[in-house]
Order: sequence, then structure tokens, then C-alpha cells
Amino acid sequence: MLSFPTPSVYQSSKCFVTYGVMGHLDPNQPPTKSKPWSTVAGQDFINRVELIIPQDAFEVVRKILNEKAAPEFQRVVMSLHDVLSGDFFTECIKKGNVMMLSEGRKGIDNVFTFRNGILTMLLDKEAYERAGLVGKPDGVKGKRGLKPRWVVEIDLTSSSMVPGKKGFDRLIYASKNAFNTPVTWLFCNLSSTIPNPDPLAPHSPTRCAAEPSVLENLDAMLPTLKPPVDAIGPEGREELQYFSTELYEWLSLVRLQSPRIQVGDQVDPYLCRYQVPGDGQQGKICKLTWQGFLAPSWCREILLSLVAELPSKTWFSFSTTTFSKGMAGDNSEISLFRAQGAPGEYLMWEIKSHE
Amino acid sequence: MESTSQTSSKNQPIAAVLLSRAHDPEETKRILTEKIQQRPLFLCPSSPPPSDARAARRREREKKRLSRKKTLKPKPLSANERRKLGLYDVPRSGQRYALFEPLHQLWLGYIREILGNEIHTGGEGAASKLTSADFHGAEVEVVRSGCVSRVGLKGIVIKDSRFTFEVVTRRNQRKLVPKEGTVFRIEVPLGGVPTATVEEGQSDEKQQQQQTEAEQPKMIFEVHGEQFQFRSADRANKKFRSHFSKIL
Repeated sequence: MLSFPTPSVYQSSKCFVTYGVMGHLDPNQPPTKSKPWSTVAGQDFINRVELIIPQDAFEVVRKILNEKAAPEFQRVVMSLHDVLSGDFFTECIKKGNVMMLSEGRKGIDNVFTFRNGILTMLLDKEAYERAGLVGKPDGVKGKRGLKPRWVVEIDLTSSSMVPGKKGFDRLIYASKNAFNTPVTWLFCNLSSTIPNPDPLAPHSPTRCAAEPSVLENLDAMLPTLKPPVDAIGPEGREELQYFSTELYEWLSLVRLQSPRIQVGDQVDPYLCRYQVPGDGQQGKICKLTWQGFLAPSWCREILLSLVAELPSKTWFSFSTTTFSKGMAGDNSEISLFRAQGAPGEYLMWEIKSHE
Repeated sequence: MESTSQTSSKNQPIAAVLLSRAHDPEETKRILTEKIQQRPLFLCPSSPPPSDARAARRREREKKRLSRKKTLKPKPLSANERRKLGLYDVPRSGQRYALFEPLHQLWLGYIREILGNEIHTGGEGAASKLTSADFHGAEVEVVRSGCVSRVGLKGIVIKDSRFTFEVVTRRNQRKLVPKEGTVFRIEVPLGGVPTATVEEGQSDEKQQQQQTEAEQPKMIFEVHGEQFQFRSADRANKKFRSHFSKIL
């Protein structure tokens, strides 16, 4: 009874490729609702952003980045009761626009996230039963009854979430009795104004700014960077599949800083049979990485300015990776590639993990 | 296959055919008529009619005596009768929390007396004494439950039945809490005796007679309702063994 392993339904991550047109960018009215902008902004809690550009575009990019401030986030130790009471609650949660993620591995520990005004608690069975808040079972069909985990979602910005009302009082009771240990949170303020005095100050946060780490002047073999002409339409599906797979593989190797893409790489074919696809062009490329607790709105703004300001003959690749969602540690990712000479078109890979 | 019918090819009943395999023809015929076709059917096979009037009278008397004994024995009440008698109704005026406060104090004194010194050490000894204790008048709080809306209910027990606790809450409401899948927490303040600290991390250095309730050292224990599903009368002599609980 106690020693059988619990069966689970494992599904591997899936990759969706989109080859589309970006449309006209009006600097006064930045697009939000169309792809790819809506997919980039629709992610939650981005962990890493990587940008790959040819070396001669690096100056332009540096100018773009200097105009904007580096994204800032803070790490703070608070209990759930602190989050729900006092100045922090009235200023940051009710009125402000913030994003918070607590420590813990989803699927193993109890994790709290706060985004778009909704507090989501991912709990195991004991914590859920002790909390007394109504929630839904997590996982496919509640993991079919074996050690179910629960998801509780509460909209904290609604008018009924005020001290004195029954629903809020139940939440406070749960935070005092079931979740009274302080946990480490990552906090990101999405709005540009900080209320004075800073409500986080009594909890002594650690401020971190995500500066990009730059790798310049990598001598690399470049693949064919233009999608084949007949990749459009239903007949070109196979062409598109081959091209996008090879290009994504090359981009991933660049992101991993693999020696296979460098010029003059001689590796025993017994160990690795990878060869850069294409006709053996060489060039210098540059890679920038931001790592931290980043907001999807910031990613969207960076992407907009890159698309608007980089000249049309330069290609670039922009990818965002989220925090992992479950026990297996898979995370979801969006990679976008704009080819040279085709400024309105883009190729996008969306990797979605299933938990 | 040929259809099986009552008569064989010789127009004889099948019983006769089978019997003729075992007996000679005369025997067959005799057995067939006496024991099969003209078999007597006794209507009252186990009690032969009494041979004389005296035995008949004696039998009547015995039957009457037994039925009289049966009607004198009390039967449990049916649900309808219970509802009509209203034995467990609590009138609206009686549902006040303040009315049961003295009962609660009485219960605290009773528990302190039962536990004696075990109230300071806790553990197995205290647990075995508590299982046989009566819980009417205890202030219970639901701390963990399979039905999440019950968590947080707190009140004084006025009825401890086999599967439920009936409590009166501070807001003068009578609530019926099922014991299944629920964990109850009970706190017993030590009551002003200057002694050492107790479990649950409630360390209190001050040893004054007049302490506020929040500062008094308390003994806190949790009762698993799943394992507690017995009437308080039945629980007195029950030995509890540890079971694997499916809710944990």
C-alpha cells in the first residue's frame, strides 16, 4: 500500500512554429492584440531573455538599451499575512500593478503567485485542508485521485476583498494558521511610480537590477538565414518544418555557447555529427542575456524598439524563457527570429510544457 | 437434439423410466404411485397436532407467556418517534453561548483533574486518558477538514453523538459538524498554577495568578474525527489502536 509509485501521465513539451507578418508599427500606438505581441505579453514571470544579433548591429542595440532603464526586481522575505495587511496591501496590491512569485518548486512545495490582481496558491492536500479556502483540483482530472494537489485562485483587487468581509477574513485566518511561516518572494513593480514611503521598506528587500551580460565577437558559422521561398502555403509545410528545425537548433547552440558553431571546429564525427546547415558562411555575432524576474511587458517593449530601430538588413533572434512550472522543471519559451531583408516577416517558436 | 418431454418414446413418465433401471417392474409401479404421484403434502410438517386437549392448552399458555415477555422489553425509538418527542431540540432561547460558558469551565476543571500531571508532559499517557474522557462542554475548533468550508468553526460541544459534534458558536448559532475527515483542536489552559512550560512552544516565564487568557500556558491537542466515531458512552472502555488514515 505504501510502496507503489504513483502513476502519472507524462507529456513532453510541444513546439508550435508560426511564420507570419508583423504588420505596420505605428510608434504612437504600439500593437498589443496581434501576434506576436500578444503571445510575448501573455507569458507569466520571465526568467531569462536572450538576444542574438550580428556584431555590426551591436552599437544600435546598445543605444536602444541605454535609453531604457535596466529592469529591476526585488527579493524580500515576508509571510503571506504581511502581503495581505498594512500599507503593502493597500498600496501595492489594491492600487498598484505588481507581480510576485514565492519560493518553492511547483508540484512539491506550496507556491503562491500574484499577477494581474489574482493571487494563486498551489497547495498540497494537507495545506489545502488546513487553509479552508475553496479551490479546484490541479492536474489532469485532479491526478485521478492520487495525492491530489489543489489550486486556489482569489481576486484580490475586487471590492469584496476588504478587511471585515467574510471572504477576506477567511483568507486572513488561513494565512495566520496554515501559512504563517515567512517565505522568500520575488517582487517586480510593473508601474513606473513607487508610492512614497515605499511599503516594502520595512521588510528590507534586496534590490537587483538585471543588467545584460554581453558576449561579443563570436566567430561563428552562419546557416541560411532566409526562409525558403516556397515555405509559404500548405505545400511548403515540409520545407518550413526543415528550415525552422535547423534554424532553431543553430540558435539554441548559439545560446548555449556551444563550440560546434564556431569557425574551425574539428570534432570527431563519432562524438558529434552536427554540421551547420547552409553554404558555410562565416560572420561575427553577439549575444546578450538578461536573467532575473522580468516582466512580459518589458520584453514586449524591447522587442518593439528592436523591430522599429534595427535596420532591415540585420537579422536578430529574441527569446524569452519563463520560470519552470512543475516537478520536471520544464519551462515554456518563445523565440522570435526576423530574417535579413524581410523586415515585416517573422518566424516564431512557442515551446509549451505540459504539467 | 430431440426435445426432452415428459413422456419417453414408450409414453411413460420419466420418473418411471429412471426407477425401472433400479427396481423390478412391480416395485417401480409401487414407488411411483405411493411416493411420487400420490405423495402426501404436509401443511404443518414440524408440529404434529396435539394428541389431547391438555397438551393443546399447555401449548397455548406457553405462547402467550413468551409474547407477553417480548412486549415488555423496551425497543429503541424510531426516527419519527424521536423527532416527535423532541429530546434533542434546543430552543432558540437556549442557544446562547453565554449559557454554556459555565459548562465549559466545569469541563476544563474535569479535564485538569483527569490528566493530573500528564497535562505538563503530554504524550501517550495524556492521550490514553483523553480518549476515554467525555467531551460535552469542550471548546473545539475545526482545524483541518476534507470539506473546506468547515475549517475555522469554533464552539462549545453540546452533543457528542456517534458521527457528529453539535456545537454552539460564539455568535449563538447551533452547528452540526460531522466527525468524518475532520481534525479538531482543543485547548486547555493550565489555570493559574505556577508550573513549568508545556508543549506547542507556549513558553511563559511569568507565573502570576492573574494572567490574561492569551498569555496563559495551554495544553493543545488535536483529535482526529475519523478515528473518534463512537458515542461518548461507548468510548469509555474502548482501546484505541493506531490506524493508517486515508486523509493524511
